[in-house]
Amino acid sequence: MLFRILKNSFLKRPKSVFLVFLSIAMGAAVATAFLGIAGEISHKMALELRSYGANILLEPSAVEGGGFLREEDLPKIKTVFWKYNITGFTPYLFGITEFSAGGKKERGVIAGTWFAKQLEVPGEEASVQGIKGIAPWWEVQGRWPENADEAIIGAALAKRLKIVPGGEVSALLKGRSQNFHVAGVVTTGGYEEEQLFAPLVTVQSLLQQQGKVSRVQVSALTVPMDDFGKKDPATMTKDEYEKWYCTAYVTSVAKNVEEVMAGSRAKPIWQIASAEGALLKKLNSVMLFLTILALGASAASVSTSLMASMAERSPEIALMKAVGADRFQISSIFIGETLIISVAGGIIGYLLGNQLAQVISRSVFNSTIASPLWLFPTAIISALVVAIAGSIAPLRRALLVEPVRVLKG
Amino acid sequence: MSSAFCPVKRERLLRMAENIIETNGLTRNYGDICALKPLDLQIPEGEWLSVMGHSGSGKSTLMNLVGGLDRPSAGSLQVGGKDLLALNEDGLARFRREFVGIIFQQHHLVPYLTAVENVMMAQYFHSVPDEAEARHALERVGLGHRLKNRPGELSGGEQQRVCIARAIINSPKLLLGDEPTGNLDHKSTVMVMELLKELRAEERFTVVMVTHNQEVAGWGDRTIYLDDGVLVREERMR
Repeated sequence: MLFRILKNSFLKRPKSVFLVFLSIAMGAAVATAFLGIAGEISHKMALELRSYGANILLEPSAVEGGGFLREEDLPKIKTVFWKYNITGFTPYLFGITEFSAGGKKERGVIAGTWFAKQLEVPGEEASVQGIKGIAPWWEVQGRWPENADEAIIGAALAKRLKIVPGGEVSALLKGRSQNFHVAGVVTTGGYEEEQLFAPLVTVQSLLQQQGKVSRVQVSALTVPMDDFGKKDPATMTKDEYEKWYCTAYVTSVAKNVEEVMAGSRAKPIWQIASAEGALLKKLNSVMLFLTILALGASAASVSTSLMASMAERSPEIALMKAVGADRFQISSIFIGETLIISVAGGIIGYLLGNQLAQVISRSVFNSTIASPLWLFPTAIISALVVAIAGSIAPLRRALLVEPVRVLKG
Repeated sequence: MSSAFCPVKRERLLRMAENIIETNGLTRNYGDICALKPLDLQIPEGEWLSVMGHSGSGKSTLMNLVGGLDRPSAGSLQVGGKDLLALNEDGLARFRREFVGIIFQQHHLVPYLTAVENVMMAQYFHSVPDEAEARHALERVGLGHRLKNRPGELSGGEQQRVCIARAIINSPKLLLGDEPTGNLDHKSTVMVMELLKELRAEERFTVVMVTHNQEVAGWGDRTIYLDDGVLVREERMR
């Protein structure tokens, strides 16, 4: 009988049912879209943020390293537990040399590095590693070096030595000399503008430090630091350590990399890591806030529609009460109606929300997103929450209907 | 002495067994307006009581009170041995569905349900809907051919008969009629009253019927006249 009442009630009042359905579906759609892209946005934003520079610095350990890391260990970085989170890295070998060009001489820093090195790691996908990948904001006037005797020179140093792309510069150290063809002049806005960047192997030869590097910059996708992530791993229980290690905090990824680089000490570059973390946290908060706001607006809309519907149906409610319906029975009819509409609204909202998420992802990040499985129950639950929140006031009103007043005359 | 032999209590119990409705000083005020002034009334089980009076005389107020649709402002009200003042909202709802059948002047049928579904709705709130029983009830009131019609497709007399079928479906002890023939022509009125008379003979329920119509009141065993909330006259028909 309840089913008959509900079915006929729907068929008799298609407009008001549709309005409630629409409100619930829109709320569920917005919640689905926002929650669906929230995770993806965090990932995409984290990727975008990687363009702001490395967030982990590997240096020789004061105790074991003897001042250098081994170049032969570098490929191991792509084999660690968090290898898929490591978007790039580049080694550096620094030395002080005397530069001379066009009759001008000046002592300065020479940095050997990888620009865009094809890295083959057995069992892993080939990748390209180097400065071009982890420092995309570097502006090179000219081009990047392609040969062992080519270099790029920092803009400030180039200005003092009066060097332009296509020029020559030589580096002199302890009687050894290396001539470089200047492929480009680099502007970074930082201390790099005082240095000369040349292929790692050439600088190793010049400095007589074959197979050695001074430091490695690593760029990794990480999650925002929370209180747990900030805990000292040394004080953690076994379970806590496992949880920490398996969460992509910048500290746990750094620890992971440190383990494969002999004699190294990895430390987060906090100004980058914390800025990223704060930004991602804010982004997630905004998404959550918008989702709650959208659900609240839907609930208000549901409430308004149901209130209007209740006013229209008060004779029907009064009649039900007069023939003996108690509060539970009245409630079950209206909650039943709302539940049916909300499940239907949740399903449609989920389908619409998925499409909306795809549109947002395509227009903002130029990519598609995969809909996670948990999103469907989330859409249904969102719809139910909207429906229940929106039904409270109208239901109270229905329960307050007095048959004597409404059925009078 | 055990309470079962207390003469005062025994007399009260016997009286209660005889009278399905007993009021003492029953009063209903709406703000400053006194719709029903202290009323002492006894209605024996099985009686057909007609309640007459002008508009605003307190007839409907009395009916609403004995039907558990409204609460008195003062006095006592026993219906079927139940003290209605002691019942909460859900208790009153239970009382209405188990004890009372109501026929309204305006029929008050749910517009989107068919005739048989309107009757089944009362069964649903009472216990379990039984379509065969609901059909039978409509056949008893002469609407076996209108089972699947909605109220909008029925005449006033037919709607009133659906209302009667709904009122009797749960075998109530008390049938209340609030001007049940007020909107009907003479022919339909006679038809409805004959139907009620037949049903009462079969079901043995007590009838309290509010009416303006002297002829309709004449179908009852006794008529009381209310004026300005006061019982002014009583007339026994048979």
